[in-house]
Amino acid sequence: MSTQNTGTSADSKAESGQQEEKRERGDKIDYKMVTFSLAGKEYGIDIMNVKEIARAGKFTYVPNAAPFVRGVYNLRGDIISIIDLRTMFHLPSERKGEDALESLLILNVDDHVFGVIVDNIDKVVGISSSSIQPPHPIFGDINVKYIKGIIENASKLYIILNVEKLFAPKKAEEPASVAAAMAKPLDLPPETALRPFEAAQTFRDEQQASTDVTSDFIKETLFAFKRFAVTPVNEEWFSGRYEEWKSVRKAMDLQLKEHSEADQFLETFFSPHTGDLWSEDYIRQLMQMLPDISSKNINVWNPGCGKGYESYSLACLLKLRYPEARIKIWANDSDLLAISMAPNMVFMMENVPDMYKEFMIKGRNGWAFLQNIRDSIFFEFHDVLNTNPIPPVDLVLCRDTVSFLSAVDQKRLLSDFNEKTKAKGVLLLGVNERMPMAGWQAIAIEGISMYTKGA
Amino acid sequence: MRVEYINPFVEAAFNVMKEVLGGDVRRGELYLKSTSMPVMGVAAIVGLAGGVEGRVLFDMDKVSALSIASAMNGEDLTVMDDLVKATITELANMITAQAVTKLHELGFQFDLTPPAIFTGDNMEVSNQDVEALIVPMETAHGKVEINVAIRERA
Repeated sequence: MSTQNTGTSADSKAESGQQEEKRERGDKIDYKMVTFSLAGKEYGIDIMNVKEIARAGKFTYVPNAAPFVRGVYNLRGDIISIIDLRTMFHLPSERKGEDALESLLILNVDDHVFGVIVDNIDKVVGISSSSIQPPHPIFGDINVKYIKGIIENASKLYIILNVEKLFAPKKAEEPASVAAAMAKPLDLPPETALRPFEAAQTFRDEQQASTDVTSDFIKETLFAFKRFAVTPVNEEWFSGRYEEWKSVRKAMDLQLKEHSEADQFLETFFSPHTGDLWSEDYIRQLMQMLPDISSKNINVWNPGCGKGYESYSLACLLKLRYPEARIKIWANDSDLLAISMAPNMVFMMENVPDMYKEFMIKGRNGWAFLQNIRDSIFFEFHDVLNTNPIPPVDLVLCRDTVSFLSAVDQKRLLSDFNEKTKAKGVLLLGVNERMPMAGWQAIAIEGISMYTKGA
Repeated sequence: MRVEYINPFVEAAFNVMKEVLGGDVRRGELYLKSTSMPVMGVAAIVGLAGGVEGRVLFDMDKVSALSIASAMNGEDLTVMDDLVKATITELANMITAQAVTKLHELGFQFDLTPPAIFTGDNMEVSNQDVEALIVPMETAHGKVEINVAIRERA
């Protein structure tokens, strides 16, 4: 097998492409795509998804794979699947000889690496994302669903492909196995096996296609404005909210154009008693759901504790539920301003539900929690994306925090939860968040999203 | 890092620098860092032990180190000699000691290790699994970055 890595020349091409573009128009260049041709037409893929470009041949044939899977290939030790985009889109392609090298784009989508064969790789073109036009359903060869948009550059029309849509595993079907599926490149063919049929139905219901685009657009703006990433953790809520949003907004524009609109969209996401002490009802409900813990020490991890209200609420709850145990809560947040007030928080009595009163004492400035409650919580200025030096814990409390990380970071944090939680330990997520990892048992009750780790 | 630890270090750094260097001392925005980081040229390190484990690293470039040492000694120092190194070490010691004193008053037991100083070009500190709080201080004699990494003994 021979591979010729042309990564560096792609970079220099990127520069020249960018300069060309700059000369042409004064727009800000904020989107770069790698362009290539398929059956004489020009296409582009977001450069963020392109790991490298290469030329290679002699792929190892995989029996029983979908027709557009040319085989697997050893890319410097990693076995990756090779997909022929031309076959996938039912475009004519010349079959080259046995030893001929094909042009390959090595893509990285959701941490999954694979190669796609194209006719010719052209160059890197920098464009302004605002000048991308939405795709039109009569675009012909490729289903509109897989097209991000159309762009004109240097009097050529490029079709920008949406590789996330095109190659992402179908999440809705089996959310639990997504991680497992992505770990094995060879799982790709059966999963995408249905795609060519869809691709062939070019003239699909236009309505359907355009709502998909809007929902994608909302997902993107939510992340841009609020760093809220729609993933299996919160997809259920998102699709429900999206339907609701459509009925609320009716004829108005569905898209989120400002921060305030993104806030409005997220309004129904947050858990009860965010930024306040938990109510007695909420505490009672949780107490009933928590399993018995025999150990004398109960360790809790509370990432994203914000101002610390939920950490105090939880400390009181655990004191009531497990009066014998020694409780230690590691509460952390990366917002220094929010968390710096947490250790010395004082309350006005009228704002505090009765059940907290036995844990509080009157001080000079108002009511504060007793020293033994305060000693049980470590408030730390800490970013969960750095290494988490947390001992094995019995309970993880992480409400409405995971969703505000990028998809990759979400996966990392969830697997950290998985690693740090003892067997039979409990994970409490935000009310609209779900644990997509296998091995966690949901304890479903209206208004609470709790999981136990299987033994 | 526990929230309670942050202020003592920030205050001690500010007070000591203001006292020994005079002039305008400003504190930059605090932030967290966990990757390895280049050292600007002179680094003094003080270890912490006791109820916690960790270290405080004072990082500055050579020019600032010479200027600070000159100001503290009241004479013009131009080469990185023993006196300069001892002076920077002392500054690190003073700041850390004052912070630890403040922490002691708050009920946290810390011990110090004797400070050590490193000088050289292209140095890099990496302790992979430690997240550090960076306190950038801007003085009339140059920039000093205080890098505090403390964690609870499990």
